[in-house]
Amino acid sequence: MMNSGSLTGGRSWPSRTSLTSSGKRIQKEMAELNTDPPADCSAGPKGDNLYHWVATLFGPQGTPYDGGIYFLDITFPANYPFKPPKVVFKTRIYHCNVDSTGNVSLDILEENSWSPALTISKVLLALRSIFNNPNPYKPQVPGIAHLYLVDRSKHDALAAEWTQRFAK
Amino acid sequence: MMDEQPKRSSPKQSENGEKGNCVFSPGFRSVAAMAGWDEEALLMASLVVEDTPDRDAKQKRRSDPLFKTPPTNSRRKRRDQRKSPVSLPVAVLDLDEEEVSREEIVEEKKEQKILVDINSKKDEKSKESTSESSSIPCIDRLREELSCAICLEICFEPSTTSCGHSFCKKCLRSAADKCGKKCPKCRQLISNGRSCTINTVLWNTIQLLFPQEIEARKVVGGGGGSKTLQSTDLQSPPARRRSQYRSVVEALNSPEGEQLSLERRRRTVNHHHHNLRQQQSFRPASVVLLNSGAAGDNSVSRRRRRREVVVVAPPEQDEDAALALRLQREEFMGAFGGSEQQGRRNSVATATVNLRAMASRAVGIRNHRSGGGR
Repeated sequence: MMNSGSLTGGRSWPSRTSLTSSGKRIQKEMAELNTDPPADCSAGPKGDNLYHWVATLFGPQGTPYDGGIYFLDITFPANYPFKPPKVVFKTRIYHCNVDSTGNVSLDILEENSWSPALTISKVLLALRSIFNNPNPYKPQVPGIAHLYLVDRSKHDALAAEWTQRFAK
Repeated sequence: MMDEQPKRSSPKQSENGEKGNCVFSPGFRSVAAMAGWDEEALLMASLVVEDTPDRDAKQKRRSDPLFKTPPTNSRRKRRDQRKSPVSLPVAVLDLDEEEVSREEIVEEKKEQKILVDINSKKDEKSKESTSESSSIPCIDRLREELSCAICLEICFEPSTTSCGHSFCKKCLRSAADKCGKKCPKCRQLISNGRSCTINTVLWNTIQLLFPQEIEARKVVGGGGGSKTLQSTDLQSPPARRRSQYRSVVEALNSPEGEQLSLERRRRTVNHHHHNLRQQQSFRPASVVLLNSGAAGDNSVSRRRRRREVVVVAPPEQDEDAALALRLQREEFMGAFGGSEQQGRRNSVATATVNLRAMASRAVGIRNHRSGGGR
């Protein structure tokens, strides 16, 4: 009788801890982002839901995305940080690694390349780096990747035009 | 006080004498008088006592009434008073112009010093608020270095991978379970056994550096675990004892318990002593009873009962203690009457009455016996 009681207690407990541990970790990251925000980006919960964030990225200087402000949606899984967050661009961007619906191909955001030691600020840093260095060999939009490899100047002009149209 | 002072001096000296009066306790002065100290010796002693490095020149101070003013809020002054081996009694004095102005200057100086003090205190506080626990200068860096990359908190029971990275044991284990057996930091393969051992040096260091955090995490993380542990039957002696008591109460509350008490009631006066022994030996039996009897209860009332049962003192072989225990038990049963199921109430009530009667008779017997023994 007693054992069964303890067992049910044991069964209900781990799920609660894992839930709170992910929440705790997200809260920690939020506090860290507030006290020490990374350059040219910001992130925070959309509303009351700790697992749904909005982030902004500023197009870095010296790229065709300069001057653009890009909004992103970040969704944390319940078993974060053991599973990667989902990042979606809400602002349209002409980039070979971001498709028209905003899905990003970034290696660290893939399930088997993700590491629980990665944080949102590191993810944002990685996203900023693909503004500077798109990865045409692992494209989300092959056409843009091809243009990037073949005619860089035309690619850059198009990207700058999109920045003007969508990201300002 | 002045009257106690041996007076064979000029008015000026007596003024100084009053000063000595202020500085020294009556006890000291009487001892000094016995030792044959005169006014001058006392005066010298008072100067020695008052001598602190940040004061004015001794000559000025000798007549400075500031030393006889009641204590103010000035921290420095209080410190000075603390330094002197005897307490300064409060003496009311008239201050003439010059002394007032000097006092003002001193007061100003003090204020400045207090301001400095406050500023430095503020600095300390701000430092403390960032580094919290201790005065180690690079505590924030340490905190960063010693936190687990997975939960972002101070490593709890750190485990170090073969590649040299440390994480909480729990975090590393769940990372290995959910993300594959590679180091979260450098993606090197990690072996099974390694992730289960605690890096004791690191763990001890962390416990020394951040005792509060670790304590808080122990309460949060370990609390659930220990709670579930407590409800199982293989635990620490106190928990076992508690459950044993619970069992005793259960047994007494149950119909079988009532039967036992009735049986006991039937025993004759002459067997009183034997009766008590018997009752002691009942305990193991009632432990057995518990397992069947407790099953019917909901967990809430059980938990409540356990908490209350803790109050019961452990039994002694002593007769008196047994008697006291019985009376206490009776009280408990009265208290539990409300929380018990309706059906049991009557049996509990009768058991209570039986026990009470038994107890009073036992007391009577004891009185009788001790009376007869004499």
